[in-house]
Amino acid sequence: MALLTEQEKIAAVGSIRPIRSRNFALTVPALLLLVVFFILPVVSLLLRSVMEPEPGLQNYEALLGSTTYLKIFLNTFSVSALVTAVALAIGFPVAWALAIMPPRWASIVFAVLLLSMWTNLLTRTYAWMVLLQRTGIINKTLMGLGLISEPLPLVNNLVGVTIGMTYIMLPFIILPLYGVIRKIDPAILQAAALCGATRWQALSRVLIPLAAPGMVSGALMVFVMSLGYFVTPALLGGTANMMLAELIAQFVQSLVNWGMGGAAALVLLVVTLALYAVQLKLFGTARMEGR
Amino acid sequence: MLLNFDRLGAWKWILLGITGLTAAFLILPILFIAALSFGSSQWLIFPPPGWTLKWYAMFFADPRWLEAAGTSFYIAAIVTVLSVLLGLVASFGLVRGRFIGKEGLRALFLTPMILPVVVLAVALYAFFLRIGLNGTVTGFVIAHLVVALPFSILSITNALEGFDKSIEDAAVLCGASPLEAKLRVTLPSISHGLFSAAVFSFLTSWDEVVLAIFMASPTLQTLPVKIWATLRQDLTPVIAAASTLLIVITIALMLLVALLRKGLKS
Repeated sequence: MALLTEQEKIAAVGSIRPIRSRNFALTVPALLLLVVFFILPVVSLLLRSVMEPEPGLQNYEALLGSTTYLKIFLNTFSVSALVTAVALAIGFPVAWALAIMPPRWASIVFAVLLLSMWTNLLTRTYAWMVLLQRTGIINKTLMGLGLISEPLPLVNNLVGVTIGMTYIMLPFIILPLYGVIRKIDPAILQAAALCGATRWQALSRVLIPLAAPGMVSGALMVFVMSLGYFVTPALLGGTANMMLAELIAQFVQSLVNWGMGGAAALVLLVVTLALYAVQLKLFGTARMEGR
Repeated sequence: MLLNFDRLGAWKWILLGITGLTAAFLILPILFIAALSFGSSQWLIFPPPGWTLKWYAMFFADPRWLEAAGTSFYIAAIVTVLSVLLGLVASFGLVRGRFIGKEGLRALFLTPMILPVVVLAVALYAFFLRIGLNGTVTGFVIAHLVVALPFSILSITNALEGFDKSIEDAAVLCGASPLEAKLRVTLPSISHGLFSAAVFSFLTSWDEVVLAIFMASPTLQTLPVKIWATLRQDLTPVIAAASTLLIVITIALMLLVALLRKGLKS
């Protein structure tokens, strides 16, 4: 007994000898939670896609062979791409400004970014539902200015989803991009200027290439998050532009078709993990959050 | 030049303009909802024709809203405690441990963050159908714990990696038992990590919508589920009032974190 305590003490004081599996037991409770309530349920859902209603690939044939579902895939990809492009176009100048503006101003913008990120997702989506509705302030203002005579349809369509999703994704592209631009040595741009580069040349041939890794990484992250989004497309989009996450939910909740639900989930999962692997391969690290 | 704020010339104003507009774009909808929650218009007309507290009165007079808020808080509180405890123990294993596959395990612990939540929601819903956990507090807690745990592990491993273990060793050498040294030396030193783990876990559960929509039953629903169900019918200003209360709680928690960080620095 005494000997064991000695050994424990040596271990605690940081012996250089690596002891096999030391402290592994500590991770077991969390691991158990993940295995039982994360890995097993997901795997069993995916298995149902090839087992129900009977063993075979008929669910995938139905999913990939029907124009209705292909349209949903296409729509999911194009909405995600559109949101990513808009978020990147707005996010780049903002991240750039944040990296160089006086810290006091920057901290105000950061506070806004954090507040927006942590405000309840439904609250933010609700806000846009109210703002964009037929009698909403945006339509009222445009009509008041005489720019339009009829209220524009801004919700339950592509416009609504794009605005709502961009609103949510912006912080996720600004923050990593800020980190990348912040690390660029200003002397490099000074050198470009000294060598006679105009501002546009310095921007397109020095700053953007140097920031490109951050842009690609941020864009990938936003794209992947958008692919799996459920709440915002369901509330701001229309039935004509349904997205993949809604399709999965619909298969399971309204149609009670677990085979098709599992197949659609697998498609989403494979695309997500593949893009995540690209991200890891390109940048070594990745942090994402999907809701 | 391009990275020197004072020498940007006209570009400076363009960049500032875009940043200002983006900040406004991000903050105005939130302020707008807060303002409308006090507006008297049932149709959420802005600017409101008058000011009123009736939407808050309706929120607090309706037992279903209060019950949903209570359920949300109850579940988030349990999730917070479990997430910090599990996260703490696992982080010790991940930071201090030496075993094969440690990095792989660390990555595995973070995967619930990257997996589309809807996939997890559907998978857990199917599993819970079999074992009868849908519509139970246990079911909600488990589902939210799976997505909250990565935040907890991230915060605590970060704090633990920044802690100089020789201080704990010194306590052991001075006669403290290893457990005592951990409880009285290490834990207080990483309390900021524990605190942010708690806040993130709480907010993750408190704000979570997708898992909750699947787990909920007519008799047990969280506040986001209640908002979701109400939203699908109409845009009543009561949702604006509920949303404003959520915003206030979020701001309070964020200020608490900011104050704590400031306190740690000074």
